[in-house]
Amino acid sequence: MADLVIRNLHAKIVDSDKEILRGIDLEVSRGETHAIMGPNGSGKSTLSHVLMGHPGYEVTDGEVLFHGDDLLTMAPDERSRAGLFLCFQYPYAVPGVTVANFLRTAINAHRGKGDPIRIPEFRTRMEAAMKLLDVDRKMSSRYLNDGFSGGEKKRLEILQLAMLKPSLAVLDETDSGLDIDALKIVAHGVNAHIGDEMGAIVITHYQRILDYITPSHVHVLIEGRIARSGGAELAKELERAGYADIAASVEA
Amino acid sequence: MSAWLTEARRTAAEQSSTIAVPTIASEHWRYTNLRGIDFAAFAPATPADRSAEVEGAILLTGAEGGRIVQRDSTVVVATLDPAVAAAGVTYCSLEEAAVTHPALVEAHLGSIVTGAERFAVENAALWTGGVFLHVPRGVRVEQPLHAAFEIATAGAAQHWRALVVLEEGAEATFVEEHVTGVAGYANGVVELVVAPAARLHYVTVQNRSTEALHFATHRAEIGRDANLEWVSVALGGKTGKTRLESRMAGTGSSVRLTGTAVVDGTQHVDLDTTQEHDAPHATSDLFFKGVLRDRGRSVWRGVIRVAKDAQKTDAYQQNRSLILSEKAHADSIPGLEIEANDVRCTHGATISRVDQELLHYLRSRGLDRDTAEHLIVQGFFADVLERISDERLREAVGAALQTRLG
Repeated sequence: MADLVIRNLHAKIVDSDKEILRGIDLEVSRGETHAIMGPNGSGKSTLSHVLMGHPGYEVTDGEVLFHGDDLLTMAPDERSRAGLFLCFQYPYAVPGVTVANFLRTAINAHRGKGDPIRIPEFRTRMEAAMKLLDVDRKMSSRYLNDGFSGGEKKRLEILQLAMLKPSLAVLDETDSGLDIDALKIVAHGVNAHIGDEMGAIVITHYQRILDYITPSHVHVLIEGRIARSGGAELAKELERAGYADIAASVEA
Repeated sequence: MSAWLTEARRTAAEQSSTIAVPTIASEHWRYTNLRGIDFAAFAPATPADRSAEVEGAILLTGAEGGRIVQRDSTVVVATLDPAVAAAGVTYCSLEEAAVTHPALVEAHLGSIVTGAERFAVENAALWTGGVFLHVPRGVRVEQPLHAAFEIATAGAAQHWRALVVLEEGAEATFVEEHVTGVAGYANGVVELVVAPAARLHYVTVQNRSTEALHFATHRAEIGRDANLEWVSVALGGKTGKTRLESRMAGTGSSVRLTGTAVVDGTQHVDLDTTQEHDAPHATSDLFFKGVLRDRGRSVWRGVIRVAKDAQKTDAYQQNRSLILSEKAHADSIPGLEIEANDVRCTHGATISRVDQELLHYLRSRGLDRDTAEHLIVQGFFADVLERISDERLREAVGAALQTRLG
């Protein structure tokens, strides 16, 4: 079985009647990179939030299995500890909590009670991840995302990915707001981890990030359903033709 | 007991018998209702076991220059480093000081906390034990002087008192902790005399049982160019009121008030602060932060008073509360009473709840709800703790807050 199996997933915003996801089927395994593309409002970000268990969304039908377990009954922190990682489109700031403190707390949460990471080992891992992402070492003593630029926030997201080593990473519009240099660095960080140990879902509105993270699969999301799937060439086709044709075929 | 003290107690007792327990009709007690509390039911504290070590003190480091422990009615421990004593410093029970240093005690006792406030007057009539710290002119004491007040007998009333006198240019750190494992009634008065150019670091930690009533009036008078660095930590107590008052009496005097509180269970914590500017060019800066959860309630009322002649005053007050549960509640009442026309005063109060989106973000990194909340709270207290200049003290207070949060 694939690491992640999504079957007939339906979801809506809590306290609203309108379904945003209307029957998603998707399977992702380690080593695979699935790009999910689609116009604004097609449900791309909703899919990422539902996978991470955001309390603002309600699943109305379908199932999600992660390593064979029912993901939808797990709390967000359990999902993380099970190996799921969401790279947030808009990461949150925690004034007063340093990056290093936060990273160590997160790693220790993954290691479980009674087995905290030793400080030298933590330092070594953090510094290696910082080097990979070309992050200034001083960032570790800054407050988490507090006053960070858009690019710094995204790099810090990937830094967390590098340190938590998930088996499945969901990148929610990680490319938005990044200049090309920052995008290259972020893509480099993600590519270093995609492989035998990790699969990825790359959610994007634009083709641009896929120039640096080559997808094995491309899915087009239209109005809460996957309207078309293909290989990397599908992204190129969308780049030329846009979403209009596929959207029209869905309506027809 | 000397005649003047007997007379002072008698006068206070007479006055006390005429003052009723305040009700919510009185402005300062609007949010703290004492109805239903039978103060007469608490037995006057009696001498207690002298042998036991004080438990629950969070700021004892072993590096103290002197220590005092008052258990129930009496001071059971009083030590002073011989080197500190040799510099002329007095640190002993207030009862003892009234005998050994009558002129000093008579000159200052009751000179700072005056007036007809019910609890302060009751204390003036009934206090026992107590702490007296006197630092002579120009003497600097490096090691902290620590005092612990403890109720060891359930149901006892402890009327505790401290008198701190720093003469001109003196410098000292006075750390006062209230530790109590049992239900009881504590009512205290602290008078701080900071003479011109003196520098006092004052830390007060209220860590009583959540079954104990805690009332206290702390008041400082700060002389010309003198400075008071005041840290208040409120962790315990069932209900009561703590007044933290400072008066800028001399030109160029300053106070920095830093407060932290953790309020939970069914606790009710009431902090009433005043920054009174009676002299020009003085500065007062108050920053209090509290975290509430369960059904905890907190009240902060803060007033900046600037007299007509106190021109060029700089006065700030800021209170922030973070609420972690649906049923916790905070009231914040900042106030300005300004008669001078050339001053800078700012005040602000915010009460906020934990951001659920932020909580989700942290949980998405594997932190369970408690750990995520702790991290947010740790971050919330970071800026207020940064104001504590003594590193050891800062770490101890930070650790105490974390421990208190569980």
